[in-house]
Amino acid sequence: MKPSMKCLFLILLAGMMIFAMNACGKAESPDTNLAGQEKLDKKVVNVFTPMEKSDPNAKNIARSAFEKTVIMAEDQLGVTVEYQTYTAADYQEKTYDEVLINRAHSNMDDLYLLNPDALLTLGEEGELADLSGLKCVKNLREAVKTANTVDGKLVGIPQEVVAYGLFVNKDMFDKYKLKLPNTPEELLACCETFKKKGIETPIGANRWWLECFVFAQGFADLYNGGNTDAEIEAINSGKVKLSDYMRPGFEFLQELIDREYIDAEKAYVSEALEGERQDFLAQKTPIVMAYWGAANTDTAYGSTDFNMRVIGFPSKRGQMPVVPITGYGVGEECAHKEDAMAVLDVMLSDKALKVYAEENKVISPSKNVEVDCVDALKPLNEKVNEGVYVLGSNANLAVEQWGNTCLIVRDLLKGASVDECMEKFDKLQEEKIKEQD
Amino acid sequence: MYRKKVMVCEMERKHKNIKKGRGVALIVSIILVFCVLGTVVYSAAGKISSQMSQSAVDNLSESLELLEGTVQAILKKETEFQKLLAEEIANADDPGQFIQSYSMNRTMVKISVISSGKDKGISNTGEQYSAEELDFSAGYTVDGLPFSQSYMNDMGTWAYTIKCPIKKEGRETATLYIEYIFDSFDEALPERFYGDNAKYYMMDAKTERFVLKPKGLGERTAGHVNLEDFYRANNILEPAIHEEVSNCVQSAKDIMFYHDIQKNESLIFMWAVNEGALYLVGYVPITAIQKEGKAVNQNIFFVMFVTIVAFLICCGVYLLNHRQQEKNREERELEKERHNKQLKEALHAARIASSSKTMFLSNMSHDIRTPMNAILGFTTLLTKDADNPVKVREYTKKITASGQHLLGLINDVLDVSKIESGKVVLTVGEFALSNMVSSVDAIIRPMAKNKGQALEVIVTGIRNEHLIGDETRMNQILINLLSNAVKYTQEGGTIWLRIIGLEQRSKQYERIRIEVEDNGYGMTPEYLAVIFDPFTRAENSTTNKVQGTGLGMAITKNIVELMGGTIEVSSEVDRGSIFTIELELRIPDGRSDEEFWRENKSMRILAIDDEEEIRNNIRMLVKEAGIPIDTAISGEDAIRQIQAVHERGEAYDMILLDWKMPGMDGIEAARQIRPLLSRNIPILLLTAFDWEELEKDAELAGIDGFLAKPFFMSAFKEKILELQGEQAREETAAENDEGNSLEGCRFLVAEDNVINSEILLELLEIEGAVGDVVENGQLAVEHFCDSTPGSFDAILMDVQMPVMNGYEATREIRALDREDAKIIPIIAMTANAFAEDVKDARDAGMDAHIAKPIDMEIVKQTLKKYVKKEEAK
Repeated sequence: MKPSMKCLFLILLAGMMIFAMNACGKAESPDTNLAGQEKLDKKVVNVFTPMEKSDPNAKNIARSAFEKTVIMAEDQLGVTVEYQTYTAADYQEKTYDEVLINRAHSNMDDLYLLNPDALLTLGEEGELADLSGLKCVKNLREAVKTANTVDGKLVGIPQEVVAYGLFVNKDMFDKYKLKLPNTPEELLACCETFKKKGIETPIGANRWWLECFVFAQGFADLYNGGNTDAEIEAINSGKVKLSDYMRPGFEFLQELIDREYIDAEKAYVSEALEGERQDFLAQKTPIVMAYWGAANTDTAYGSTDFNMRVIGFPSKRGQMPVVPITGYGVGEECAHKEDAMAVLDVMLSDKALKVYAEENKVISPSKNVEVDCVDALKPLNEKVNEGVYVLGSNANLAVEQWGNTCLIVRDLLKGASVDECMEKFDKLQEEKIKEQD
Repeated sequence: MYRKKVMVCEMERKHKNIKKGRGVALIVSIILVFCVLGTVVYSAAGKISSQMSQSAVDNLSESLELLEGTVQAILKKETEFQKLLAEEIANADDPGQFIQSYSMNRTMVKISVISSGKDKGISNTGEQYSAEELDFSAGYTVDGLPFSQSYMNDMGTWAYTIKCPIKKEGRETATLYIEYIFDSFDEALPERFYGDNAKYYMMDAKTERFVLKPKGLGERTAGHVNLEDFYRANNILEPAIHEEVSNCVQSAKDIMFYHDIQKNESLIFMWAVNEGALYLVGYVPITAIQKEGKAVNQNIFFVMFVTIVAFLICCGVYLLNHRQQEKNREERELEKERHNKQLKEALHAARIASSSKTMFLSNMSHDIRTPMNAILGFTTLLTKDADNPVKVREYTKKITASGQHLLGLINDVLDVSKIESGKVVLTVGEFALSNMVSSVDAIIRPMAKNKGQALEVIVTGIRNEHLIGDETRMNQILINLLSNAVKYTQEGGTIWLRIIGLEQRSKQYERIRIEVEDNGYGMTPEYLAVIFDPFTRAENSTTNKVQGTGLGMAITKNIVELMGGTIEVSSEVDRGSIFTIELELRIPDGRSDEEFWRENKSMRILAIDDEEEIRNNIRMLVKEAGIPIDTAISGEDAIRQIQAVHERGEAYDMILLDWKMPGMDGIEAARQIRPLLSRNIPILLLTAFDWEELEKDAELAGIDGFLAKPFFMSAFKEKILELQGEQAREETAAENDEGNSLEGCRFLVAEDNVINSEILLELLEIEGAVGDVVENGQLAVEHFCDSTPGSFDAILMDVQMPVMNGYEATREIRALDREDAKIIPIIAMTANAFAEDVKDARDAGMDAHIAKPIDMEIVKQTLKKYVKKEEAK
């Protein structure tokens, strides 16, 4: 045998021996106590979030992005974030917001993902801690801070600035040679055409997001007219009726319902995405409404077989994105307040927000984080970047708008008249003014 | 023979087949072993996997029973507590006030009492309480107490209520409602289930709503809302399964089935708790259940893999080792074969050598005995016929011939002996090719003539006639080859000697090719292969009578190689042979011939020869010497050219005329040319033939002399000088002055051998000289010392003598303090006949060297030369 072959065999045998010994050898026990010690000194932060109904083959990017920031916090702080989730199985069950408020009252959790109305409600009740002392606050956009400041306390900070818009099937618009609508009239005209072409329900809706039509029409001037603070002050003081702002939108919705462009009954009992998603993806419905992130996630509209575009809601000022500022809040009297604040600070740091924004392709609340969006969102993104949008929630407005309008729209869906709906706004406004007095 | 070969082939084929069969059987056996091993391992792995799977199912069942037990125990404790509380409330004066003393905690979030017959009661929070929204219709109980359907309470968490009657004195006075939350189970249930690989939920059986979820939000571990969502999320869409599950839930049975969850095979379980009021719902991936089984299987396969690899390595090592051994064996075999072959060859060579030596000795015995026989025989006859002078002369002539032959044999043997021992030294000196050719010609031509053979000598392309080399050895080569050619060519045959000048590689060297060709008997290829080996001699019926030592060719080859040349031979039987020698010989520096030719450059020559090659050769040589030359191809052509030259008022100074020409031969041509020339213009006849036969006719035709072919410039020069009369006259005078007799000379002869000394004295006496003989060198010195100066004309000194050898004696004589000691000719007469012996003799101070046996002619010439020289001095 040649010396080189001998060497090769020796190396091979030695390698085999080492491999076999490693494979067959057992790990040395560090000591005589074999029990794991993980549960010692375990710091826990409970977070309460909504939960989308599961889809076996879909990828939920939003959740992935959120989890990444949670993991960053866990790694950095050595805490364990435990999730509590709730989603109503049907419209008859309690809503997420109702459950959240109850849980917050009972101090069941430490960290909450708050919708604008819940944020305002709990903020006003003093159930939420002031987050203005967090390090991440200095990086936030002013609009975010303004929208979520209640009684001088910053009670919620979001991981993304959620912009709502109309998700349209551009192929269907092109098919019927329709321009994407800018005004309510144009939308009606489009719907009329679709209806004529056999589309049963041109606008797919659920019981949550129809109020965006109202805000777009009602607040287009308020937020883009250059006199926002004065107008809000006038509403808060009762000089101007809130219902005056809301009426055009409600009347428009009523018309959509009357013309059967929206299936009111279905919308009333449908959870978010539940009622309209399948029809939109199946190109039975050319128009739906949803939040920015829905364009990125497979559980919503992240993957379509057609050319999708996301545009603002129609208004007399043209397409108008609706931006309700949501946020994460910490219970004022929660069990692990300090840890929850620390976790939130990490999750909202520029580093974490960048990871979140890059994963989720959203508008970041930090002025230091810029991320490209998907093509479908570009029309909406352009408007937001131009500063053309209306706020879906504003803590400076005495009457909570996001939740209340949602509930009143449901009344409309349920058959209430526009006047009856406006009376409710008037009543809410009056109650608020009384409270202030 | 053929049959034996066939049998050997058949045996080899069988052997190969057996080997091949064994190889196939080995491979099949190995494959079989591996198949059996693989099957066993696979079966074992399958069995282990199955057992582990069953164990895992059992283990999961046990775990679920544990969970169930935990939940059941909590419920039981809750009811026990509630019963106790109900008893205490029954004894309390104010039940409402009593329960308000209990604050809510994380298990019991609301304690309420409704008095019998009333719709509303009071809670421990002080709020009014109504049980209207509670649904006990499913009829589930815990420890006999009704258990409500699950609902979302005011705390925002899933809860259930157990109601317990409050009895006082056997009468039900009120009902105690306690709301418990499902989250309280969470603290009692294990945090991790199958190492976080498995998930479980708690499901309200009636609503199929998940009321307790794992604390996770991970992409797919996110809690499911209800059973329908669980099915959808995990792709459990088979109606049969849904139906089976539904039936089991309705009848409060446990369910366990396999299904893929996210492409991983999993075990789905639905485990009834509290008689089916609640269900533990979830899944465990098979990989998590069969972790140990998988690890065992992996280990088995790993061990199997290692075993196979080790086995294959062993096989590989064995095969390589086997191959190596085979290779070594083959190498040893080859080595052995080579050795055997070498031994055989050596043996063969030794046999041949032995045979050659034996043959040589036999030949020598024959060859020596033959002349010896002649010598002794004729000596006997001589004794008998001593009175008959004619016979005596005849016998002595034959004795001399036999002696000469014997001497030749001895010289050859000695030569070979020297060559073989590497003692041959070339005596390099300047020589003229013309001399060499003419001396060889002089020896061979008579031999050829005796056999009626023609000898043609052709020299072409030689630019430098004078070369540096060992003339003697050159002569020896040519004589060997030519004498062989004469020997081995039949009578009337032709022998060619060609000396051809080749293209020079260096200006300092002349490259020549010597070809000796004959059209004789030729040689067989077998003999050609050994022709240059010593002691070989061609023998056949034709040449058996040819005698020789068989050493000539060996000597020739060795000498040629010693000179740095090559010798080749080609031959065909009955067609003849050709020996080709190529040599490079140095050209000597400046020659006096050049001056001679410069002096005679005005001379104009006409050369006439019908052979173009010769014509060109003459033209080339003469032109190189700077002499103008014209050539003509025939007598007629020559006449025309002479006439043409005359017409131009010019003339030739010399005519070179070939004798043998077609048509008009040289004699005839001379006859016709002579009238055209003035008488002082010499006509030389070029001929390779014995000119004596032509001399008369030539003179009559007006030819002035002969020039031997081949044409050499040196011979030509001598001829010119001769014709010019100077040298001829000198030589003639010298010859006239000199006598051949040693009459009156006296020599001192130092010879230890009495016979030799007697012979010498006799021979000297015949020549009219006398000699004083001494037996050794010492006596010679003494004798010379004792003699008067001039007493001796020369000293003839043997070399090998007792007491003092010839060299020492010569040195002592030369060292004597007397005048004649320095000048007296001392001539070595010795059997030491090699060149180095000659050199040694000269070094010792001797004047000349004569080899024994003594040739009186040589002795005479040498003595005359030195004695005369002495006289001249």
